[in-house]
Amino acid sequence: MPAIRNQIRELRALREMTQQELADRVGVTRQTIIAIEQDKYSPSLETAFKVAIVLGVPLEQCFEYDSRGKR
Amino acid sequence: MLTSLSYREKTLYASLAAELVVYGPYFFLHQQNSVNKVAGMIITIIVLQIVLQSIIAALTRNRVTDERDRLIELRGYRAGYLALASLMVIGLGMLWFHATVGHLRLESPRVGLHFLSVFFGMLVLADITKTATQIVVYRKAL
Repeated sequence: MPAIRNQIRELRALREMTQQELADRVGVTRQTIIAIEQDKYSPSLETAFKVAIVLGVPLEQCFEYDSRGKR
Repeated sequence: MLTSLSYREKTLYASLAAELVVYGPYFFLHQQNSVNKVAGMIITIIVLQIVLQSIIAALTRNRVTDERDRLIELRGYRAGYLALASLMVIGLGMLWFHATVGHLRLESPRVGLHFLSVFFGMLVLADITKTATQIVVYRKAL
């Protein structure tokens, strides 16, 4: 299980936002959003904050740290 | 499939294809190598890269690169450096071995060309390792 998990897919679906739209607003590639959603890539703190701001939720609602997970 | 690739991935596939097309025949078709051929290949690869990268840049509207691209690039450079360092150690070991057993004749007119081929080959393999590693890491969706 990854150390950092996220709710981006669900939050994005609630806002009917595509991966490309989120990527454009955050300033990353669509492939990076895909990798983050699949928990295969842990974004930098800056990108994590940007994602949370674009989705309009606090950071901890978007990302969750599990100390038992692998990094 | 091409549309699902990011701009950086497309450029990497183009680089790898150019490297294999240009360097492949040199190393795998046992032909007579020469300094002119090496120089010709270097010019060819530069021209081919410029053409391919220009085409990709023209056809790709979204040319964003981000932190993940930079991380993958670093991983590629690390793999390339490890490949180059390993090949150098193996090459120097073989040089020492041949010098010890007396196979190496430095007075031979072809020895310089042989060294050129070997060290050029090491650089090419390291570069292909770098590019291939980046493609693999992209495919694993790091």
